[in-house]
Amino acid sequence: MNKRASGMLRAGYLNSLIIVLGLGMLYPILWLIAASFKETNAIFGDPGLIPKAFTLKNYVKGWSGIGIVGFSAFFRNSFFICALCVVANAVFCSLTAYAFARLRFAGRNIWFAILLITMMLPGHVTLIPRYIIFRSFHWIDTFLPLIVPKLFAVDAFFIFLLVQFIRSLPKELDESALIDGCGKFGIYWRIIIPLTVPALITTVLFTFLWTWDDFFNQLLYLNSPQRYTVPMGLRLFLDSSGVSSWGPMFAMSVLSLVPSFILFFSLQKYFVQGISTTGIKG
Amino acid sequence: MKRKTRKAIRENLSSYAFLIPWLLGFFVLTLYPMAYSLYLSFTQYNILQPPKWTGLRNFFVMFAGDAQYPKDDRFLNSLLVTLRFVFISVPLKLVFALGVAVLMNRKLRLIPFYRAIYYIPTLLGGSVAIAVLWRRLFAGDGVLNTILRGLFKLDPPAWISNPKYALYTLMLLAVWQFGSPMIIFLAGLKQIPQEYYDASSVDGAGRTRQFFSITLPCLSPIIFFNLVMQMISAFQSFTQAFIISGGNGSPLDSTMFYSLYLYIKGFGFGEMGYASAMAWVLLIIIGALTALTFRASGSLVSYGSGE
Amino acid sequence: MRKFGLVLLTLAMGASMLFGQGVTVRWAYWGGEARIKKSQAAIDLFRAANPSISVNPEISGGAGDHFTKVDTQLAGGAGPDIIQMGGNIGDYVKKGVLLPLDKYAGTILNTAVIDPAAIQGGTFDGKLYGISTGVTMPALVYNKSLIQRAGAPLPALSMTYAEFRAYLVALKAKLPTGVYPMQDIGASSSGTTPFGYWTGYNGTKLYVADPKSTQVKAADAQKYLELFKDYRDNKLIPPADIAAGFAETNADTSAIIAGKVAIGFLYTNQLGGYQAATKDELALMEFPGAVATKALWQNASQYYTVNKETKNPEATVKLVDFLVNSPEAAKVLGLDRGASASSTARTAALEGVDQKVLDYLKIAGAHTSKPTPNLPNDTEFNSSFFLLYQLVAFGNYTTAKGGQQIADLIVRMINK
Repeated sequence: MNKRASGMLRAGYLNSLIIVLGLGMLYPILWLIAASFKETNAIFGDPGLIPKAFTLKNYVKGWSGIGIVGFSAFFRNSFFICALCVVANAVFCSLTAYAFARLRFAGRNIWFAILLITMMLPGHVTLIPRYIIFRSFHWIDTFLPLIVPKLFAVDAFFIFLLVQFIRSLPKELDESALIDGCGKFGIYWRIIIPLTVPALITTVLFTFLWTWDDFFNQLLYLNSPQRYTVPMGLRLFLDSSGVSSWGPMFAMSVLSLVPSFILFFSLQKYFVQGISTTGIKG
Repeated sequence: MKRKTRKAIRENLSSYAFLIPWLLGFFVLTLYPMAYSLYLSFTQYNILQPPKWTGLRNFFVMFAGDAQYPKDDRFLNSLLVTLRFVFISVPLKLVFALGVAVLMNRKLRLIPFYRAIYYIPTLLGGSVAIAVLWRRLFAGDGVLNTILRGLFKLDPPAWISNPKYALYTLMLLAVWQFGSPMIIFLAGLKQIPQEYYDASSVDGAGRTRQFFSITLPCLSPIIFFNLVMQMISAFQSFTQAFIISGGNGSPLDSTMFYSLYLYIKGFGFGEMGYASAMAWVLLIIIGALTALTFRASGSLVSYGSGE
Repeated sequence: MRKFGLVLLTLAMGASMLFGQGVTVRWAYWGGEARIKKSQAAIDLFRAANPSISVNPEISGGAGDHFTKVDTQLAGGAGPDIIQMGGNIGDYVKKGVLLPLDKYAGTILNTAVIDPAAIQGGTFDGKLYGISTGVTMPALVYNKSLIQRAGAPLPALSMTYAEFRAYLVALKAKLPTGVYPMQDIGASSSGTTPFGYWTGYNGTKLYVADPKSTQVKAADAQKYLELFKDYRDNKLIPPADIAAGFAETNADTSAIIAGKVAIGFLYTNQLGGYQAATKDELALMEFPGAVATKALWQNASQYYTVNKETKNPEATVKLVDFLVNSPEAAKVLGLDRGASASSTARTAALEGVDQKVLDYLKIAGAHTSKPTPNLPNDTEFNSSFFLLYQLVAFGNYTTAKGGQQIADLIVRMINK
């Protein structure tokens, strides 16, 4: 009885700690959401979190986009690109990571060092030569330069991530599978993949987020407004010569968080369940 | 003997088969741009006209300089700003992320909801809205100062536009967006077999002791990964500073990150050769620090398989 | 079989897109939603008159994004046909990526109806490279409602520097604490901003194209820095750290829109955007001393330039001509890219805020001289000047040191 009460007390204490910390962190986001429901000329004048005059105008106006293309098209394009990138990264980064983490081959350490080095060069200086490559493929103004590279595991971040997770799995698992007659691919598919689900989910989530957020490449490779993406669309609400539409920009910023939020929320049960190696380990 | 070599070759080939996509990508998409930028670092290149070979001049201007090619003071400043940013924000972010991850690993009913809430700042990423939000919080008449004035009767500075403090607001932003390492920590925590904890509970170990004797060692590969990756990405921080300072490192170049200056040099000032040289200098700095971290990790990181 | 037919159909459609008799003109510009809508309306009108030419706009949100993209495209040999340019047009001419338009003048491109001054602004080394999108003028903008609420008199349209300072002092006495008479507008640089105006007022040209030189000496730049130091020391402009929290490049970051200052700086084509961002009424006044010195100027808000590598020069120039000279286009484009420099286009009716701008242009237009060309390496000059100005404003440099470094900077930009 007493033990249960102290447990509840502890849970209450934890809950309130989390909530207070969370509220502090969320203030900017709450302000953003509130601002998206304010009239444009009240956004900066009205400091309160709760709008004095509540309006949906920003959402209506924002959704209609830039006049020639609606915001729904930007969402569609972003979804399309993200979906393909997510699948490609999950498959090819995990294959590559498996090789680096578990397989023995000549030059493994050198290749791994090269893999890390490719992450260390600031991307701005490779924009132009990359552009020239894709131009020679006639891929400008298509989604291909944004998607196809993922089929070749160019995101070293995820390879390294998965390598770290795979290396921390007990190696006896592979050995017993080997005895059971599994080949290299069999081990990858039957042992490694199921056990690295949290890391794979992380890969999926981050690929989605970062592709969703990747303004620079989208700016360079997509020319036609019909192919523009969400971050490009958001930038078009701001105008360097004066006529910015903050209201619609905030409204669409809030909307642009929704897909990632839903994805996160629906994927996180895999974190909750976790992975138990009990039983296999024998 | 011969059979053994053949077997080794076959073993090698079948391993390399898994690497084919990555190797193709490396040779077709990554190697040429990297090599080309290395070549450009020895040239003067304004993007629109062919590059002109200038030997080591770009590097000379960065570190020494003379009367004809004066030393670039803004370069050194940007390097120092970036180093400060990396060495302060990365540890803070990692500690915070790990702390929250441990908290989020508890079995509370509302945990899924909490996790999502804590992840929202990270979802915002490099959104243009951040510029407004941060100004709103840290401007002279921002939210923070309103609180400080009201509650503590202080006369605080305009944090975001004061050269002494502007960089700290960016560090705070980096820490605020701690979601990525948190998620990775969380995934790592989930991979720690529960029986380790059960066994130590039987031995009477408390939570704190479990944290140090089980959680930290088991998590060490992941901590190491987060450290390396956060360091690499902090050195290359660009978007947030670009958005918040309006792309000019204001005030007084106090938020002029290395990558921001590199971008301004390359695309703004038409000195892509110099920008490439800067990029390779950064690569060497990051590479050296990463190598050091790898060496140091040897004794601290334990992999389950004892590799 | 049906599948096969479908494939054929797709192929045929693709082929017609590739080989059809129509041409596509790619028009790259930067701007926000308002400009995009106006531009699209003009494109629609053009398409109605020229059905064989399609127009594909390539839009970036800001000038920075625009030039990064255009530079990359040009380096990759995939540049757009029409490139919107700003004050940096000279740098692109120098790098040889723009098409001289003289060949088309008088035929496809009607240059006779465009103001000679506007033509001259786009002419480099005797060749015409850029067509002005419209005329704009620098101005001081003041928050009429704010000043009235404070119970202070409104400023006169034209003042001397002495009168202007006296007015700022009087205004300061009436304004609530935390609100300053003027934003620290000195930090904006380049030939076409307050520093550029001041060099003209001072009688020292920032840049002389032939021979390449400057008339601004260290002492001149120092005087400029001292002018604003005086304002700053007397709290007529905000202290450096408050001022640095705003940027008068657009309404979003403007101190005047935030209600922190009564007077700011803008270009007349920005007034519409500024006005839309606030409930207060805004109005325009001249820079001090413009009546006596005629140091104001009118310049192209932006330029339409044509990529040298364009595959369809004629269709491209035709679109430029339409955008600049057609009255229908002028009507839908409004003053967004400046007030039209073409006599055929100016006949189009303009209303509201636009009328306010036209009134200002009418009076201040008499106090102008020929614009000084921008310094070479305009972008770098702006960025470096901004830093030097801030170093003085924050007290890290004396005005003497700042003046010397600005003079050195100008020389370096000319010789680069």
